[in-house]
Amino acid sequence: MDENREAATGGQRYTDRRGFLKTVVLAGTTLATAGIPLAAYFVSPALEKGGGRWVDFGAVADLNDGETAMLSFEYMVKDGWQVLPQRGFVWARRGPGEAVKVMSSTCTHLACNVIWKPERQVFECPCHTGIYDAEGRPISGPPARPLAVLEHKIEDGKLQVYLTA
Amino acid sequence: MTGSGKPSGGILEWLAIRNAVEKLGAQRVWSDALSWTRFTGSLALALLVLLCLTGVFMAFNYTPVPGTAYDSVDFAQFSLPFGGLIRGVHHYAWNLLLMVMGLHLARALVVAGYQPPRELTWISGLLIMLFIPVFIITGDLLPWDQKGFWSTQVRTSIMGSVPVAGDWMVRLLQGGPRTGIVALTRFYVLHLLVLPGTLLLLVGLHFHFVAHRGVSEPLFSTRERRQVSLFPTMVNRWLLLLLIITVALGAVAYLWPVPLGDPADPTDSNYIPKPEWWVLFLNQLVAIFRGPLMVLGTAVIPGALAAGLMVLPFIDRGPERHPLRRKAMLTVIAAIGLVLLVLSIMGYLEHYGPPPA
Ligand code: HEM
Ligand code: FES
Repeated sequence: MDENREAATGGQRYTDRRGFLKTVVLAGTTLATAGIPLAAYFVSPALEKGGGRWVDFGAVADLNDGETAMLSFEYMVKDGWQVLPQRGFVWARRGPGEAVKVMSSTCTHLACNVIWKPERQVFECPCHTGIYDAEGRPISGPPARPLAVLEHKIEDGKLQVYLTA
Repeated sequence: MTGSGKPSGGILEWLAIRNAVEKLGAQRVWSDALSWTRFTGSLALALLVLLCLTGVFMAFNYTPVPGTAYDSVDFAQFSLPFGGLIRGVHHYAWNLLLMVMGLHLARALVVAGYQPPRELTWISGLLIMLFIPVFIITGDLLPWDQKGFWSTQVRTSIMGSVPVAGDWMVRLLQGGPRTGIVALTRFYVLHLLVLPGTLLLLVGLHFHFVAHRGVSEPLFSTRERRQVSLFPTMVNRWLLLLLIITVALGAVAYLWPVPLGDPADPTDSNYIPKPEWWVLFLNQLVAIFRGPLMVLGTAVIPGALAAGLMVLPFIDRGPERHPLRRKAMLTVIAAIGLVLLVLSIMGYLEHYGPPPA
């Protein structure tokens, strides 16, 4: 049958409309059948939720009044098929009095780690020289939003901070 | 050189490639397609070949696991014979490739090589050029050192700052919210399998159009144009170029060994990733536009530049090719080039210059 049609069109297969439509349908169906599982397989790890947890940073009394301290953390997170330590740090300031403020170290511009400069009482971002004041408000440079304030609580004199991701 | 050595029937017949070989032998190309005035394309091909070759061999001693990846690269570079050279050639080859591609593009702009009938040659070339940074971004993470890890953080957050799609692109690329084992595996498969495969396709497309639409006629030379055989004359010229560039990059890699930084440490607050020379202008753009305007620097301006180059053959359709008679077009191009250069210099001074007082 195919030969007949080919002969009828003078051997020019590319004018075989029906044959071409069949190709489109077959290829499209194959693509969809194979594509859906493949795409789901590829995308699913990306849907993983980060989740959050309370992390213990030790005695609040260890923080000096009016000083900004770097508190490092390490906890285990699931990363695909591995459980790995996730490390990082936050900035915590005590004072005035008992008030405690915990700020993320992540620059709101492009996520470099900001560094506290005690001499000038500012947070400085090394990446594009963004500057934040002691409260984490942007003063100069590219950052437009303040440093994220992290939720914390004090239990039995210990500082607990809620960390996501 | 006999020019058209007639293939001796026997073995070619047996391999059923006689026709193909004879056709190849009869293929003639313009002599100036690879010459002292036109070599950037051939050089880029030579560099791609070297990149694939050194890359495949590096992969024999590489494991895409955070931590272990660093150890494997460290071992390959310092304990295996020629390990340092192979990694070095890979490293210098992509740096040189960027420059050579820049020249390739600049030449086409100046002599209007993009004009019809070569629109598709130009567009396929641009696609290759836009594609190479993806290679570099994925490759940079592979050694799992401080530089690669922190540069990846900066890049993913630039990508993530693009409205709507940004966060999703980053999650898809990394296979989740963090740069860990899933991300490294994805970068690895992209860099070694998916990207080289796609690149092969694009390069094939580019050569298809070069072959069928030809190279533009020389503008300045008055010598008469000759044709030479593709094989062996042109192939031999190219092999000579490949040999020279291999030796040169090997020498550079020997004299200036590529550094391998410290292993990646996500807690190291003191590590400041410096943007590499080829992204300095982008980095400046990203830093100039703030807050809600940021998307201008991260997506709109780079996107407009790429789109502008893409449609160039449909705006400047010729037939006028001489740069002096395309003054308006070249002024615009030169102005854009100048702005990019100034941005790069500003970025260089900011990141590599003396610290601000
Ligand atoms: C065609 C363009 C290519 C570019 C631009 C490129 C770029 C890079 C970059 C930037 C690195 C980081 C290490 C360094 O700076 O030295 C790298 C590493 C690596 N590349 Fe490529 N690459 C290319 C092709 C390939 C190919 C085709 C393969 C293999 C199939 C490959 C395999 C590797 C491996 C295994 C590493 C990790 C080892 C190391 O960093 O020393 N590359 N590549
Ligand atoms: S990432 Fe902090 S200023 Fe850009």
